[in-house]
Amino acid sequence: MIYLDSAATSLQKPRSVERAMMSAMRSMASPGRGGHRPAMLAADMAFDCRAELAGFFHMENPERIIFTMNATHALNIAIHSCVRRGDRVIVSGFEHNAVVRPLHTVGAEVKIAASPMFEPQAAIEAFAKNLPGADIAVCCHVSNVFGYVLPLPEIAQLCRQHGVTLIVDASQSAGVLDINFPQLGAEYIAMPGHKGLLGPQGTGVLVCRDSALPLMQGGTGSNSAAIEMPDFLPDRLEAGTHNITGIAGLLAGVRYVRENGTKKLLRHERDLGQMLAKRLMQIPGMEVFRSEEPTYQTGVLSVRHRDITCEELAERLGANGVAIRAGLHCSPTAHRTADTFDTGTARFSFSPFNTMNEIQHAAALTAEIVNKE
Amino acid sequence: MGYEIAGRRCSMPHYLIMCRSLTYAQRAARVLERIGITAIVTKAPQGTGHEGCAYCVKVSEKRLAESLTALKNADLGPGKVFMLGPGGEILHEVRK
Repeated sequence: MIYLDSAATSLQKPRSVERAMMSAMRSMASPGRGGHRPAMLAADMAFDCRAELAGFFHMENPERIIFTMNATHALNIAIHSCVRRGDRVIVSGFEHNAVVRPLHTVGAEVKIAASPMFEPQAAIEAFAKNLPGADIAVCCHVSNVFGYVLPLPEIAQLCRQHGVTLIVDASQSAGVLDINFPQLGAEYIAMPGHKGLLGPQGTGVLVCRDSALPLMQGGTGSNSAAIEMPDFLPDRLEAGTHNITGIAGLLAGVRYVRENGTKKLLRHERDLGQMLAKRLMQIPGMEVFRSEEPTYQTGVLSVRHRDITCEELAERLGANGVAIRAGLHCSPTAHRTADTFDTGTARFSFSPFNTMNEIQHAAALTAEIVNKE
Repeated sequence: MGYEIAGRRCSMPHYLIMCRSLTYAQRAARVLERIGITAIVTKAPQGTGHEGCAYCVKVSEKRLAESLTALKNADLGPGKVFMLGPGGEILHEVRK
């Protein structure tokens, strides 16, 4: 199996992730639920993971790293904490349903700062035009459909200028691009643990500037006599038993990313994407969503073909051992922006563990499938 | 003489510095360890006046003043401090 669906979940993980999870399962209990060795081992590891992530995002305070189930969970905490019914919320034209649906549920007045793909200057201008008078901005760092890198530092600067609270969806950029949380001045950054950070499914992270409203209430292993949730982080936002096995894997994944460096990992994924794009562009009838400027795109490549549906292409590739994802990728907003809503796209996305040989095989197989049509 | 806390053998006398949460206790321990002070994170015993399930760091008597200064400098404003008896029991509060 050649796995090219890392924008959904990175399947291949460093060996250290598996080892860390097995070790945690055998030896660790729950942090804050006792003073015995298994509880304290879990507490030490969870703290190490917070400290590692804090360092990764250039932060000093590990308690502002909140463990969540996934990026959607983290985004829900952020959105439900600071968006109220009727608030004017500005979003990019590339947002995932993990952003769009909670905003709809809250009853926000959502306005899309629309701009074409792979044109960061246009995105800056669209935000500059829409931010005055807004309450909140929510912006993905990288489009999950097209790998388009939005100009986040500039958008964050505009938000600061206009006094607009910024929530960042770093689902496709955490572990891929450098993110300097204090410099951005965002209120929250949400991310999964199971994509670029190379941790297991069931892990996510919310980075907080200050506090937030708990989405759930329950035991935290602190202030147990009080009926209210604690007022301090991370306890305030982490009710219930932690996914310690997952967090152990996440710690190993983050360490792997930091040891190798995001620049090196991204360069590899970009090289794979550029190579695949060049090969697929040679196929008659194939539309390839590729940026002329490589730095505007990560290792995510969407395509569609005149004669075969995206679902059909993905199914045939899958039947022949190449895993990709087709459809709307939970991002109808992005597809409306790119005018691909009616067809969806077939998305190839890469990890540090994919090779050029795999990409060549996937390109050749795609050409073969399309030529049979 | 001595006693065990969190599975580690301790010699006396020692002090418990109360922290607002487990994570703060862990941060405090890291701050102290960075300047060469042995600090053990442990669950707060009965009699420390907390609201249940609190954590603290344990330091030796000789390093208490230094520890409190370091924690204050690190913006980890230490909470109450208790002196531990030879059996690990709370003797008395020495700092509010």
